[in-house]
Amino acid sequence: MELQAVLMAAGGGSRMMDLTYNTPKPLLPVGNRPLIWYPLNLLEKVGFEEVIVITTKEVQKALSTDQRLKTDVKMRLDVVCIQEEADMGTADALRHIQQKIKTDILVVSCDLITDVALHEVVDLFRAHSATLSMLMSKVHEFTETVPGQKGKKKAGEQRDFVGVDVTGKRLLFMANEADLDEGLVLRKSIMRKHPRMLIKTGLLDAHLYCLKRSVVDFLVHNKSVTSIRGELVPYLVRKQFSKTLNSQNATEDSERNQKQQDAHHNLELLSTSKDEALLQLARERSCWNDHRGDMSEAYHGGKLRCYVHIMEEGMCYRVNTLAAYIEANRVVPKLFEDPPIHPAAVVSERSLVGSDSIIGQLCHISDRTSIKRSNVGTSTIIKEKVKITNSIIMNGVTIEEGCNIQGSVICNNAVIGRGADIKYCLVGSGQRVEPEAERTNEVIVGSDQLMEI
Amino acid sequence: MAGKAGRQSRSRKADKDEEEHPLQAVLVADSFNRRFFPITKDQPRALLPLANVSMIDYTLEFLTSTGVQETFVFCCWMSSKIKEHLQKSKWCRPTSPNVVHVITSDLYRSLGDVLRDVDAKALVRSDFLLVYGDVVSNIDVSQALQEHKQRRNMDKNVSVMTMIFKESPPGHKTRCEEDDIIVAIDGKSKRILHYQRAQALKRLHFPMNIFHSGSDEFEIRFDLLDCHISICSPQVAELFTDNFDYQTRNDFVRGLLVNEEILGNQIHLHVTKDGYGARVSNLLMYDTVSSDTIRRWIYPITPEANFSDQEGQSCTHSRHNVYREPGVSLGHGSLMEENVLIGRNTVIGANCTISNTVIGANCVIGDNVTLDRVYIWNRVHIADDVKVTQSVICDNVEVKHRVVLNEQCVLAYNVVVGPDITLPEGTVLSMHHPDEEDDEDEDEFLSDDNDVGHSKDKAKQKVFNPAEVGSEGKGYRWKSSSLDETEEDELAECIWGLVLNADPESDSESEVSEGSHDLGSHPASPELDDVKVFQNEVHGTLQRGLDENITCDNLVLEINSLKYAYNISLQEVMQILVRVVLEFPFQQQGAQMSTAQYSSHLLPLLKKWAPVFKNYVKRPQDQLDCLASMEEVFLEREAHWAALVKVLMSMYQLEILEEEGIMHWFKQSSSTEKSQQLRRNQGLLKFIQWLQEAEESSEGDE
Repeated sequence: MELQAVLMAAGGGSRMMDLTYNTPKPLLPVGNRPLIWYPLNLLEKVGFEEVIVITTKEVQKALSTDQRLKTDVKMRLDVVCIQEEADMGTADALRHIQQKIKTDILVVSCDLITDVALHEVVDLFRAHSATLSMLMSKVHEFTETVPGQKGKKKAGEQRDFVGVDVTGKRLLFMANEADLDEGLVLRKSIMRKHPRMLIKTGLLDAHLYCLKRSVVDFLVHNKSVTSIRGELVPYLVRKQFSKTLNSQNATEDSERNQKQQDAHHNLELLSTSKDEALLQLARERSCWNDHRGDMSEAYHGGKLRCYVHIMEEGMCYRVNTLAAYIEANRVVPKLFEDPPIHPAAVVSERSLVGSDSIIGQLCHISDRTSIKRSNVGTSTIIKEKVKITNSIIMNGVTIEEGCNIQGSVICNNAVIGRGADIKYCLVGSGQRVEPEAERTNEVIVGSDQLMEI
Repeated sequence: MAGKAGRQSRSRKADKDEEEHPLQAVLVADSFNRRFFPITKDQPRALLPLANVSMIDYTLEFLTSTGVQETFVFCCWMSSKIKEHLQKSKWCRPTSPNVVHVITSDLYRSLGDVLRDVDAKALVRSDFLLVYGDVVSNIDVSQALQEHKQRRNMDKNVSVMTMIFKESPPGHKTRCEEDDIIVAIDGKSKRILHYQRAQALKRLHFPMNIFHSGSDEFEIRFDLLDCHISICSPQVAELFTDNFDYQTRNDFVRGLLVNEEILGNQIHLHVTKDGYGARVSNLLMYDTVSSDTIRRWIYPITPEANFSDQEGQSCTHSRHNVYREPGVSLGHGSLMEENVLIGRNTVIGANCTISNTVIGANCVIGDNVTLDRVYIWNRVHIADDVKVTQSVICDNVEVKHRVVLNEQCVLAYNVVVGPDITLPEGTVLSMHHPDEEDDEDEDEFLSDDNDVGHSKDKAKQKVFNPAEVGSEGKGYRWKSSSLDETEEDELAECIWGLVLNADPESDSESEVSEGSHDLGSHPASPELDDVKVFQNEVHGTLQRGLDENITCDNLVLEINSLKYAYNISLQEVMQILVRVVLEFPFQQQGAQMSTAQYSSHLLPLLKKWAPVFKNYVKRPQDQLDCLASMEEVFLEREAHWAALVKVLMSMYQLEILEEEGIMHWFKQSSSTEKSQQLRRNQGLLKFIQWLQEAEESSEGDE
């Protein structure tokens, strides 16, 4: 086994609480499948037979009951539960399952929906014997109106600056705009090794990482690292160019006393597979090097290397905000070859269901209903003369006669009263919208009485 | 105002009928620096031979081949010689496709002056090329020119200049270490956002505002060589007029980038991949460009092409890049290994070994001579058994037998060396005495031929030193100019270019130090270094202040400027100042000194520098900070706690600290056990008590 897959599915979805307050993020329906299905499918398609899923108790229960997951996913799921209250970061989670990790790992986040050719990332990892290789993609502009959001999204968001070399593969620099108020500072020695650096902004980190096994050992020794994206990756990127790592012998002797700790960790980072000596020999004997302009050895002798695959085209979403959730729901159905209307759904002959919509199983759709560009989940009942456009209806929703729903998200088990007119709203799970209500651009959630007029 | 409006309307008109205008060029045949001294004392740089052809001919050939039809040559230093040269050259023949106008003035002191004159004389009508007289290039700029025009048509008069660069990554031979530039550009529009020379910098700093241009891809390039060829729009000349403080193109580029938002002008760049372009800005570049010429990197400009069309210059090209002009005679057993160019009627003796060398016309080389990477100009005599490596030997030099020239020697015009002498690395010999230069420092640009006559008189008064030039030698040794007082804020310029101390070492140090910051520390760690450096600098400043008796006002001035240089906050300045002063005696006398010695050293210093402190300690908060950092210093040196009272006392008496401040500090709940211990110190308690009493009594007085 070359790579072990680890799926991080314990996140609470803190950036879209309105959706996740009683449906855990991995189980949110996207195109009538739970979100977690997408990364699992991604892994299964490339031939993984086993995956370690780190998640919460609640999700575990759902995983074992969800029919669709059972039939679709043939992989062996090794589910590891962590306590929700523990507030563990992704790196903490890796530390938690350290015993299970025998080889290099592929870490995937449960909110990733992509059609990337996964081998691109893994090939970088293999070809350069990299310590880290990761996936990024051009940020997609969200076009849909987001319920409850006033106006357009502010442009002044903090951008991530990602520096890559001229091939666009080697990751040289990574920082968030927020940390750069002093300006962007680069060491000249880096520029000397990589004289042409592309600084890109507007990239989405897909949170998909290939990591050397030694990185996990490193995490075990460095308990202070809690998050992969927040701390580990920037650390590795920076470490690529630090001298202590690259000329270990020299520094180890001279600074043994003060830096024993540090050197020890470095050792951990570098302890590589038994093939390393062979690879080293191959590199010495070969005239190949990874840069132009001078004849120094490949990678300038650096042992720690980070790479990134940047998707120029194709689809890559991280469903971690409401806007991304809506966008993903719009795009995803186009990828399936399943019939848009589930065979077990009851759809009246006299209703109009657009081909750009999908209807889940056991739905009941009555006469003179029109559904366009919308997703309707399982066991939803839609009564007569309902008009639904551009909306996401989750499971078990009841929509009474004569409703007009536009650009909205209706969560599980909500009930929409007769003749209600809902535009660009988010209706939380289990909520009731009273008959004849007119709502525009609102978020209807929670048990607060204000909603129950 | 009216004049400016007139100019604008003129330039607008020029845009319309751009097609009709022939391409013009401004060639600056003066370097406005003295990098080639003492060689350029006798010959202007543009006329120095490179592979036996004057450099200005390369530049003119480049301009003509790229389609320039009218060239204005601006000369200043030894303009008559340049004029004479051009009049004899093919450029002034009636058949020349490129009309050359020579404009001379003794008043040009910089590129800025030249361009202001271009504007004043209204010479250019449309986009023009700006080059120096020492640029060697075969770049076809037509594509860049087209892009430039497109940009200008798209966005009226926003892009004023397109700079031409050649790819030359670090480690490449043509990378001129002085022009170690780093450029940040917009990935799509190729607009220059940041332009900086990076030598002597370890960290490259890019202000954030350059990333706010709306693009999502930027490129930082450290692999570019400035060819010193720029396509300028007529506004460039106007901008030089408007900004009379712009002296060099560097000033211009920097000024434009800084004021971009105000003026709305942009600079773009064009990178050539396969063209060759370089400016011979020092002898190292001279070496590089010469050897590139011989190795045919500047094709079609090659030695055998005889592009300057001078009689007798035609030479043959044979294997291993050996070129021979007519009339060359080679002695028995002599070997021309590779990359050799030998001028006409030169005679070479027997058993010589010559490689990577250019020899001018009418030279005589003796037997058993070894030459490697040597540039020998015309009418040079080299006797037997001479060995020369990487040196420049100018016209009419005589090298007597058994002379050895080590790397980077320069023998300027008419020098005689030898016999039996070995010149150490980097020797520069000239018939001009180095001191005469200083005498005429003021008007050296103005002085022309009369200067030479003048100096000859002087030379007679001085005697050649046989230890420097050999028993029959003639010439004076020039000190390597790195010793020069560097009044110019430029780096120590020496004729061979920068002295490159192997800085990978120092670099690695910083890397090690960075490596030691562990995870916790953010990438912002450079600040740490800055603080450290700042502390050292402050220490140095104070030390100098002590040695040279500098007044406190000036010290404050220096510290303030350091503060800005290292971007240190005022609070930190004070903390560091306190630390430096308190540790000053240790630095001077060594750490092993008794408390009594320490305070006896420190107290006079405190008194001396009291005004410096007063400048930084003003508000009550400052006093607390000051006290806190004093505490910090003393906590590290437990043995000297007794001195703390004396320091406090004297600071109190010097009115740097006030009793409220001291009391407040004393009462502060100290966090660590050690600092509590410090506060329980006997002497300190007495002092505090005394302070309290003084306070009470003063209150009583009221």
